[in-house]
Amino acid sequence: MTRKNNYLYTLMAVAALAVVVAWAQTGLFGLLSPWDAYTVRIMNLCAINIGLGLALNLVNGFTGQFSLGHAGFMAIGAYTVALLAMSPAVKQMNFFMVPLIAPFDKIQISFWAGILWGGLLSAFFGFLIGAPVLRLRGDYLAIATLGFAEIIRVVIINVKGLTNGALGLKGIPVYTNLWWTTAYAGLTVLLMVRLIKSSYGRALKAIREDEIAAQAMGIDVFYHKMLAFVLAAFIAGVGGGLQASLIGSIDPAMYKLPLTFQILLMVVLGGMGSITGTVIAATIVTALMEILRFVESPLTLGAIHLPGIPGMRMVVFSLLLIVVTLFYSHGLMGDKEFSWDLLFSRRTKQGVTQ
Amino acid sequence: MVNKRMRLLAWALIGLLVLTTVGCAQKPAEPQKPGESQAEGDVIKIGVFEPMTGDSAAGGQMTWEGIELANKLHNEVLGKKVELVLVDNKTDKNEAANAVIRLIEKEKVSAIIGSYGSSLSMAAGPIVLEKKVPAVGCSPTNPLVTKDNPYYFRVCFIDPFQGSVMAKYAYEDLGAKTAVIVRNVADAYSVGLNNYFKEAFIKLTGDEKSILAELDYQQGDQDFTAQLTSIKKLNPDVIFAPGPYNDGALMIKQARGLGITAPFMGGDTWEAPEFIQIGGKDVEGVTLSTHYSVDAAPTEAAKEFVDAYKEKFNKEPNAFAALGYDAYMVILDAIERANSYEPTAIRDELAKTVGFKGVTGTITLDENGDATKSAVILQVQDGVFKYLTTVEPD
Repeated sequence: MTRKNNYLYTLMAVAALAVVVAWAQTGLFGLLSPWDAYTVRIMNLCAINIGLGLALNLVNGFTGQFSLGHAGFMAIGAYTVALLAMSPAVKQMNFFMVPLIAPFDKIQISFWAGILWGGLLSAFFGFLIGAPVLRLRGDYLAIATLGFAEIIRVVIINVKGLTNGALGLKGIPVYTNLWWTTAYAGLTVLLMVRLIKSSYGRALKAIREDEIAAQAMGIDVFYHKMLAFVLAAFIAGVGGGLQASLIGSIDPAMYKLPLTFQILLMVVLGGMGSITGTVIAATIVTALMEILRFVESPLTLGAIHLPGIPGMRMVVFSLLLIVVTLFYSHGLMGDKEFSWDLLFSRRTKQGVTQ
Repeated sequence: MVNKRMRLLAWALIGLLVLTTVGCAQKPAEPQKPGESQAEGDVIKIGVFEPMTGDSAAGGQMTWEGIELANKLHNEVLGKKVELVLVDNKTDKNEAANAVIRLIEKEKVSAIIGSYGSSLSMAAGPIVLEKKVPAVGCSPTNPLVTKDNPYYFRVCFIDPFQGSVMAKYAYEDLGAKTAVIVRNVADAYSVGLNNYFKEAFIKLTGDEKSILAELDYQQGDQDFTAQLTSIKKLNPDVIFAPGPYNDGALMIKQARGLGITAPFMGGDTWEAPEFIQIGGKDVEGVTLSTHYSVDAAPTEAAKEFVDAYKEKFNKEPNAFAALGYDAYMVILDAIERANSYEPTAIRDELAKTVGFKGVTGTITLDENGDATKSAVILQVQDGVFKYLTTVEPD
């Protein structure tokens, strides 16, 4: 199996994905999209969650730093995009209690620039917060980052002139579509693959295994931790912005701890330190929550009529989760990765593929 | 090294992915002809999305009880059976948006009811607007819900009205000249209501300084001593503190402990049995505004509803159940007038709703899609909510 072949396969997969996206989003050569808006929305959510999951996996899985600040970074990205992409008229409608402070009440920039600013601002906060808290380890780091996310939320609630406080913002232009979300997920996957295979990635893994040993080997531990943290903050900020634009309205109550845990669940289920695992788990978890809705709907079996029980799908989902964690204690993929060799290589069992 | 089992698994996974994607696909729907009914066969579907689980589950379930009861009593319109489709939104914005688009795309509903919680309703806003299916909210009181959205309506009054009702009551009936506002900064409802109370009270008294102070507390605070100590110093005629009922009850308990005797006033969220359970003797005399009261029972519909509710659930109906009932009935009324199951036709008739006799009063939907209707004021007396008076809109 040559390298050239692998590139070819990757290109083919990307092309196939692009065809599916184009078909689903706008229709292809006069063929209407065969997927309804509901399915497309779930696809969007899957893609966003893949990106968010990978960002968290970079810090928690590959670098071994247990961070719980994801929701905070997403909030920064979401509010930045909302404030930059909303039209002045919509802003005036939103800020009917406390007027929006200048210059935000006048400016409106394009969506992609807003998304970029959201990511950059989030990365900047990641840099500010990372410098002090990354000196902590384990549980202490988790508590500090959790505190950071809460601080962001409380600040958003209280700075009414900038964020409209608890009332939230409505009327964020809905730009997010499958092109945006798959590009986001795809670029994040690409970035992660290149990063993990580089010397940076090896350094991150070394830090995860043993920080002191890594330092003794001459790795700048702090620099590499910061790199991972800031990069994750950037990706989370962009993801938060895309999500805000998908829903069309945001409020501070969205960005509580459960949001971080939802992403963390995907990371742990897929396997800490596996890109493939996160992609699979994010897709499965997002889609399954919707697929399982049928267990909540009323059921008529001949003469027996069963009323729907709301919350049933959470029970079923939790049971599945318990089963998976019992049989795959390191997540679905552990720290293994997908490779084309797995699908096509002739050399199985014996012989080294390289 | 490549493991054969792993390879099989990987191919199986890819196969599964392709199958689900293809399985979700369907033949593109024929463009609908105008005037063509969406309802198939002899059933018309009305979608309901409510928080049946999560933080707001209690509110969602109470509303659902009312909607279900309405469906039981009136399950036919224009000769077709009305079927309710309930979808849980888990008190989560993402889920709320998913739920609504599912109702529209998969269930092909003609109209939508929901949701408890303004932020959940706002998540549904852009979708109903794009897909042109009317939605009627039961109790989202945030003005932003229906603003600039011709497809969103609601059968409850909004915060500006509720705030002014209490200001009027404080000024005219209690003779208050000064007031202090206490708000939960994390709660959109508390922040909004306080804002409108303040505006109305200043207008009534004609004195910019009649609001002695606006005190904030954070979500989850259990100790209000700091705020209450400054209230004691200011000695206001009334204290307005709408917010979650547990916050209110705790605050009042602590205030009485500190010797504050000024009357407390709140909004419709306080109308919960837990409010009296937590507050005990200390919440006696507290007044609050709400949508409806069993004792006021102003309409025929209210009598029918109260009797049926008591029979089915063996308890007194609360405002949320009543609002759920009204939302359903308003939609049915619009379908009848439209003489069509077409969502856009239903929307047009909903917008023309005037003087509809509902359980919670006479409902007229204004140009924003908000209900202009009366509010009732309740007072806690001997451990129960007693009807005090009805305040008509201007």
